[in-house]
Amino acid sequence: MDPTAATVPGSAVAGPEQEDPGLDTLQFREEIQRLMTVPPENASSFTALLELPPTQAMELLHLSPESEPAPAPAPAALSGEPLHKSCVHPFSSGLAFPTNAAQIERAAKFPIFGGERSPETGPVPSNSGANVEKVKSEPAESDSNPNSSQETKNNQRASLKRKDREKKVKVSTKKNKTEVKEDAEKIPYVHVRARRGQATDSHSLAERARREKINARMKLLQELVPGCNKISGTALVLDEIINHVQSLQRQVEFLSMRLATVDPRIDSNLDHLLATESLSLMQSNFSNMVPPLMWSEFPINGNRQQYQQQWHFDALHQPGWGREEDNHTFVTPEASLISCNSSANSASLHTGHVKTEL
Amino acid sequence: MNSRSLLLSPNPNSLKSRFTEGLLRALLRINQHHHQQPRSSREIRKRHRLIKTAAYGSMASAVGNRKAWSRALLSKIRNQARSGAVLRRSLGSSTRLLSMKKRICHLQKGNSKKNRVEVGGSGQVDKLRRLVPGGQLMDTCSLLEETAHYMKCLTTQVQVMTRIVEIYNIP
Repeated sequence: MDPTAATVPGSAVAGPEQEDPGLDTLQFREEIQRLMTVPPENASSFTALLELPPTQAMELLHLSPESEPAPAPAPAALSGEPLHKSCVHPFSSGLAFPTNAAQIERAAKFPIFGGERSPETGPVPSNSGANVEKVKSEPAESDSNPNSSQETKNNQRASLKRKDREKKVKVSTKKNKTEVKEDAEKIPYVHVRARRGQATDSHSLAERARREKINARMKLLQELVPGCNKISGTALVLDEIINHVQSLQRQVEFLSMRLATVDPRIDSNLDHLLATESLSLMQSNFSNMVPPLMWSEFPINGNRQQYQQQWHFDALHQPGWGREEDNHTFVTPEASLISCNSSANSASLHTGHVKTEL
Repeated sequence: MNSRSLLLSPNPNSLKSRFTEGLLRALLRINQHHHQQPRSSREIRKRHRLIKTAAYGSMASAVGNRKAWSRALLSKIRNQARSGAVLRRSLGSSTRLLSMKKRICHLQKGNSKKNRVEVGGSGQVDKLRRLVPGGQLMDTCSLLEETAHYMKCLTTQVQVMTRIVEIYNIP
């Protein structure tokens, strides 16, 4: 499988060189890395390839030229595929390079390996990455520690070559990072993909996670504040947010001043009416969504008299707000009340009843 | 008539309706107590303060205890009410002492709770902390979350209060 994998992508690939003669896996990895340099726009797709044992990788290689004309959807498409394949393949395919798979597992296990190297190294379409991680976390978790030291040496040696590689598509990696993080929260090991050239000790990882959270929240705030989408840069956005909050608070203050200066009129029954109206509306809507709709269509004036009487009766005997019978009767008389501003007397009567209810 | 009634119909359980209910009740109460027309600026200021407290209080109650800022706001209001009422009764007319004591209490509260202040972005985060009630207690991450919710509630508040003012002004 190795020679075929090497030859298929084309002549540009130099013969597989042996940096680590002892390890087939590294050899294989080198080949794949060379492959990656060839079509830069499909870089992310190739990193996805690295995740898989050669059988799957070959299939994808065949597929990738077809998707080349549309490089933008390519990462998405391919990331969809590795997702599929990594889910399906895990150990059902077993076969060709079981050692490969096992070693890749162990390398994946190692929590800090992210920044340095390994087949899955660097920015990888998160879907595949996360899924592969999940898949790999199921078996052999115990293998991780004993092999970790060995893996680090391998990783470091290859990491030197790894650094020659170009950085992958930035947008997808950013997206991947948050997705990886979210997925990582579900599984016991925190597999965070470190970007190229970034430290990978636990402190910086935690800090990076925290920064991601903060950036996500800032994005939400940006959407809330009108006109903040165009601004780039945290400081300016924060300024906008602060200004917006201040203006809102000032508006509240101003409005409360207006409410304070308004005259408490003698026929402030109107206010009572409105208060009761809103109260009753809300209370009635509690249990029934239907009556409010019906209410607006009622011939209000015509039914006023009978409903008022009914309402008096109910108000006196049934203090339960939540009951349906009450609601039916409450809604309509209130509506009729509102339509007639002149009925000040009845209004005060009704408000009195409402207050006893309250 | 329709415009008035449609103030609250969409969703009875929403933040908006709960807030409106609380605010209108508080306004009713305030209007009952201070029924004479507020002529002097002092009275107007007092009513203004009351109404402002009512607005923030009803907003915080509508949100409930789910958010840190609403909890902080409610406790602040309760402390103000408690200290204000007690001091006012005991001291009577010596309002200067009153205000001084309130200010001291406030400062003390502020100092004790500044444990988690972080330096970020030339003091903007600090400004935000001062704006959002209860901001001193939170770390930056949750502060941003609370700010988002607080902003949303403030916009609701402004909407509702604008409507109420309109309704007052119509007749």
